[in-house]
Amino acid sequence: METTPKPNLWQRIFGGGKTGLGTESRSVPASSTADAPKPLPGTLLTLDLPPNDPLVAYFQSTPGVVELDKLNLDSPALRDLNKQGVKLVIPLVNQGELLGLMNLGNRLSDQDYSSDDRVLLNNLATQTAPAIRVAQLVRQQQLETQARERLEQELRIARLVQQTLLPQELPALEGWHIAAHYRPARSVGGDFYDFIRYNDGRLALVIGDVTDKGVPAALVMASTRATLRGVAFDYSSAQVGASEQHMTPGDVLARANDLICPDIPPKMFITCFYAILDPDTGLLQYANAGHDVPYVKRGNTFIELRARGMPLGLLPGMPYEVQELQLEPGDSILFYSDGLVEAHNPQREMFGFPRLSEYVASHPGGAALIEAVLEDLEIFTGPNWEQEDDVTLVTLQRATGAPNNVSNEMGVWKTLASFETPSGEGNEREVMTRVAEAAQGVLPAARMEQLKTAVAEATMNAMEHGNKNNPDIPVQVQVKASPQLLSVHITDQGGSVPIPDNPAPDLDLKLEGMQSPRGWGLFLIKQFVDEMNIVTDEKHHTLELIWHLDGKE
Amino acid sequence: MATTQLNLTVRKPSNSVAVIDIHGEVTGAAETPLMSAYEEASHNGVRTVILNFSNLEYMNSSGIGLLVTLLIRVNRQKQRMFSYGLSDHYQQIFQLTRLNEAISIYPDETSALNAAG
Repeated sequence: METTPKPNLWQRIFGGGKTGLGTESRSVPASSTADAPKPLPGTLLTLDLPPNDPLVAYFQSTPGVVELDKLNLDSPALRDLNKQGVKLVIPLVNQGELLGLMNLGNRLSDQDYSSDDRVLLNNLATQTAPAIRVAQLVRQQQLETQARERLEQELRIARLVQQTLLPQELPALEGWHIAAHYRPARSVGGDFYDFIRYNDGRLALVIGDVTDKGVPAALVMASTRATLRGVAFDYSSAQVGASEQHMTPGDVLARANDLICPDIPPKMFITCFYAILDPDTGLLQYANAGHDVPYVKRGNTFIELRARGMPLGLLPGMPYEVQELQLEPGDSILFYSDGLVEAHNPQREMFGFPRLSEYVASHPGGAALIEAVLEDLEIFTGPNWEQEDDVTLVTLQRATGAPNNVSNEMGVWKTLASFETPSGEGNEREVMTRVAEAAQGVLPAARMEQLKTAVAEATMNAMEHGNKNNPDIPVQVQVKASPQLLSVHITDQGGSVPIPDNPAPDLDLKLEGMQSPRGWGLFLIKQFVDEMNIVTDEKHHTLELIWHLDGKE
Repeated sequence: MATTQLNLTVRKPSNSVAVIDIHGEVTGAAETPLMSAYEEASHNGVRTVILNFSNLEYMNSSGIGLLVTLLIRVNRQKQRMFSYGLSDHYQQIFQLTRLNEAISIYPDETSALNAAG
């Protein structure tokens, strides 16, 4: 228990009446005792009263007025009080805690204190002690509120830094789909990702994570991002004249590490994965500074993108191993941060790498994978999860066949239909019918009903969520076919608004009233297509629905 | 605006069974007609409501949402819901959504009525 009287409250009680409590102090000068100093009316006595002084225990156990003359205690504080001319002490005790002392010298009349005086003083003490306690609590609460507001303010800054520096749009690369998702934790971690275009058409993909949280992490993240960009662009501009001097992802990380090391605050470091993609050949070169290993989905298996290297900012002069992988059509890479794999469920188990890698292998890639992983994370953590760390997910997928490429390894694409339809409830049926007519004879008849439902649902989503059912905003539809694939693109104009992240529909939950009865649209689409990709730019969402024409479902 | 085409008729083959014949589209726009058809069907101690989908032209995810809402009401009234006349495609949707576990599917009216007892 805390028994040391708080100095600021002493000040409040005895400090000259500013608070209203002080005016009630009856500390009066001792006028007759010649050798005793005369305390001024209503002044603060300085008293050293350590918790182990016997006087403290005495005051706590004895309610009411204490006459110091009658005390026989071996107490330095008692001697001090006597020396300062104090005759009566009324301890201010509240709930067993000694909050302060009301000290009185001799009466001005030199007479003894009467019993009426004592009653008055006792009454005063019983009212003053709780009032002081309340004042203390109010003050404490004010301090806590201030501290909380300061913390909130810091979090706002950290979030702002982060949001400003994350890419505002995703790079558009023919034949490739890139998707990204960043979900900050309440305390904002130091996750970042970045895309850097080189002059020669190649693209660097960067994902990283700064240890620590809040403003310090955000600032280190900002400077790391700037350093990496600086190093990359150095290389990029040097390229024009000296093309044989290729700086590998390992060189970039080594250079950045040497620049970061001298400036980084102690105990902080950055994990970072740096990859350079040649979009024409599909060759991916990469190096890793201690970041969680990305997974490549290939068919129903996964490949780990392993490369040795220490996190950035620990030791200068570190080497970074460079590896490469030839990406094939349909391959999809998932880059992620540890906020995902280290998420805990209510049983305190971690989401973990095995669960993630299995999930990658067994689910469609690209933007759909991000969505699926987030759904799985939600199932794993349960609805009441307080997100511990930032979760960042970036996918890079090589298209199965680039629909806009006239000739590629997948064959020749033919446009079967291309049209617009105004948005509005029920208008999806027209789109459904026209797409079905266009696909007649291309898609096996057995799958035609599935195509109709998938197209109708995708169109409904585009009209309702993307275009807010505004009849002036059309949905654009393109139907293309190659010998192997049928592709339907449905484009809305709501790119600035993210596609809602609905939980997987569960009939039992819906019947229990724990989930909306609706929300079946995306679920049905996924059931009825072979592949689904979401491409988002500043203005549009395009849902790409793909059916394989090889007779297999 | 496309207009929604939906006609619903309610029949009572017996005191405890009602059949709702669905002609046309079950979409979000079907909410009011479908709910009032159910009100009409579930009067006077009806234990089983049978949905006749033989003339269903189109059902979308909003329509499926309505069936879920209807099911919640049916469960609350301690009634049962059956169906017949679903095309292969919509039977597949019932299986994927697991609606078939809550709304038993029968090939025709006779078997649905027999099951209703």
